Amino acid sequence: MRRHALEGVRVVDFSWIVAGPTCTRILADFGAEVIRIEFEQTMDYTRGFSASPSPNASGMFNNLNRNKLGVTLNVMHPSGMELLHELISVSDIVVENFSATVLERWGLDYEAQRKIRPDVIYLSLSGFGHTGRDRSYVTWGPTAQALSGLTLMSGLPGEEPAGWGFSYMDHTAGYYGAMACMTALHHRRRTGQGQWLDLSQVEAGMALTGPAILDKTVNDRPFRREGSPPGNRAPGYAAAPHNTYRCKGEDRWCAITIFSEEEWAAFVRAIGAPEWTDDDRFATSEGRLSNQDELDALIETWTSTRAPSEVLHELQAAGVIAGAVQTPKEKIEQDPQLRHRGFLPQIGHAELGVNKFEGEPMRLSRTPWELRRASPLFGEHTQQIYTELLGVPQETVAELMVEGAI
Amino acid sequence: MPNEMPKEESALGDLTVLDLCDEKGHLVGKLLGEMGARVIKIEPPEGDSARDVAPFRADVRDRSQSLYFWAFNTAKEGITLNLEDPRGRDLLRKLAAGADVLLESFDPGRLDSLALGYADLSAVNPSLVMTSITAFGQDGPYRDYKTSDLVAMAMGGVMYSCGYDDLPGSPPIRPSGWHGYNIGAHYATLGTLAALSWRDVSGEGQHVDASIHEACSCTTEAAMPTYIYQKELVHRQTGRHHGVQPTPKTLCPTSDGKLINVFAVFTSLNQWLSLVTWMDSKGMAEDLMDEHYRNMARMRVRAGPEVDHAFEVVRRFIAAHPAEEIYRGAQGRKFPWGIIRAPEDTLEDPHFAEDRGFFAQVEHPELGETHTYAGRPYIANATPWRTFRSPLLGEHNRSVYGNDLGLSSEEIARLTSDGVI
Repeated sequence: MRRHALEGVRVVDFSWIVAGPTCTRILADFGAEVIRIEFEQTMDYTRGFSASPSPNASGMFNNLNRNKLGVTLNVMHPSGMELLHELISVSDIVVENFSATVLERWGLDYEAQRKIRPDVIYLSLSGFGHTGRDRSYVTWGPTAQALSGLTLMSGLPGEEPAGWGFSYMDHTAGYYGAMACMTALHHRRRTGQGQWLDLSQVEAGMALTGPAILDKTVNDRPFRREGSPPGNRAPGYAAAPHNTYRCKGEDRWCAITIFSEEEWAAFVRAIGAPEWTDDDRFATSEGRLSNQDELDALIETWTSTRAPSEVLHELQAAGVIAGAVQTPKEKIEQDPQLRHRGFLPQIGHAELGVNKFEGEPMRLSRTPWELRRASPLFGEHTQQIYTELLGVPQETVAELMVEGAI
Repeated sequence: MPNEMPKEESALGDLTVLDLCDEKGHLVGKLLGEMGARVIKIEPPEGDSARDVAPFRADVRDRSQSLYFWAFNTAKEGITLNLEDPRGRDLLRKLAAGADVLLESFDPGRLDSLALGYADLSAVNPSLVMTSITAFGQDGPYRDYKTSDLVAMAMGGVMYSCGYDDLPGSPPIRPSGWHGYNIGAHYATLGTLAALSWRDVSGEGQHVDASIHEACSCTTEAAMPTYIYQKELVHRQTGRHHGVQPTPKTLCPTSDGKLINVFAVFTSLNQWLSLVTWMDSKGMAEDLMDEHYRNMARMRVRAGPEVDHAFEVVRRFIAAHPAEEIYRGAQGRKFPWGIIRAPEDTLEDPHFAEDRGFFAQVEHPELGETHTYAGRPYIANATPWRTFRSPLLGEHNRSVYGNDLGLSSEEIARLTSDGVI
């Protein structure tokens, strides 16, 4: 039998959309029994990300919620709430990413959960955290990125921010949520003590701006200044070339980053030492740095005759750090490394059929993650969890359904 | 040391972590150290390459004053060790025998070639969790390819989603702030914690093989499922989400020269009415009070002249007011709008800086200074977060080699003069 790092850990999962489900996906992938609590009137938006009216036809949902179980439950119904208490009493972790006051309104804040399960680990994952004057403010990923400074840090100098093209802070808050849960589990195993983990998405973003904060508090240098944000150039290193370059094809690009004299020499050899590489201005790293606009234009005369993958292979073979700006299609269909590593395993789903899933990017030699099942259909495990786990008679489950409690 | 707490209160206070990582993985040790683990950073005698990365304190290029190094190496002790020397390798084996976790980011095969790979170290300490952070993983056709923060985000597809749709000819953009490495480190931390969880139960250690390429490859939100399920590519758009189809611009200038991120405008009728009523109270709703604009389902899905016009009117309203007023006013009406802040602007936000005490005061006794650092990623109510400044080069050689390994002062002096430590 396959062994899993988190086997025996049960999670009550109220989470929805991206941030919370990212957290519980990691826990589920490493073997935790994650039970999603859902209700028709407050269905996860991402179940609707498809052309079909079915709540089970969203690829986005499937990708984020594989390996989890799903039950329906109405927290507004007294019998539903009773079942929820029972579920929490047999679980290790409770995860939610609602606005800050929702669980409080349900009478399920940390103190209340502790009365049900004294060593519960409760992760609240919200935009602003559950304390402080702005705790009722709402965020989506882009809000957290804007307020923490991450959006502004992305862009070409002198232009509007390019920001992030997706909810980076939904992913990242999910990562920190899963870290917090596993850290608290380790502590609980030693001490018997549970705890409340209060994660603010904005703060998790702020925590990643360490060098910029210090540049301000130590050097009084603001991030908004000439040449900042740095586009694709090298902040921190006095290194050039370091940029993206146009390749053959429409809107195709590669990245080349050179940090040392050895790498520069290797690069010059790899591109066949055209005459311009002899130019005195490019002989030292200071020279390359102060003439990098011209240098970048000359490099582009070489890259623009090649596909991004050709630049990747030719330069890496020569010991130069370079890469292709890969499209999702290339990652899924062509990237030989991702294929070799089995990064995109497949599994079937009743409505969506067999599809590929993004893997976990870390291999554990004894207890690897495993794709055990696709995402739960809406209410798929309602019968199973209530009867087998909580011991509710089947007839009672049927009655509770009719009553609208589950 | 300042801000240290007693072991029993800290989440990871029972763990000793050896951190041999460079820039690719130094965040992992910081995260474990700040949750209470004893983290010993092991640098080559000349120092970690991250010590050369700007910005520097007072712009003086000094290897003890890289603010980049400071930020990513808090809550660690520091020793030097030369793995090229057989005596150095022996010292690492001795340290690994007494450690719980070892973190490293050498090129694949490098530690094996020094007889310090997982097979070697697990023979010394079977319960060791060893985490290797590499560009592309320990095996496969790209195993020997090298990476940088920019290349990681190019290859992993992060950059494909980021950039401009209204700057002709502009490239995909790498968001600055070392996020390629951050993403790799986040997953390496998760893998380490999962392995520790298994060790708690079974006593067994294991090898965690974390790939930065794969970590970035699963940090692109809808980009992957959109291709897997619809065979469509998402396209980058200025300051907002990638999309298969173009979506309205979300960056809106304010009267004080800032930008507000405006979206989720048509989520519900109640919210829409609260927005246009607010605009109307300032005499700026124009025709948006009309019934015509109240079909939210239609407004949400149908890009077109009506939606464009509504956005234009909202933009004019925002352009006539300062950012703070729009931000607070919109949040009070449950719109998830935010100000596009510079990172240091957060120092002035009372919710985070005062109410939640986000920032940390970190003493630098060697300079006689205390500096404000970015703080904890989350609050753990039973196991407080802690931090202290990054180590000076070889700062803890005496205590670690002397107290932990029991070497005499003479032995330590000889190892130092021989360049072993």
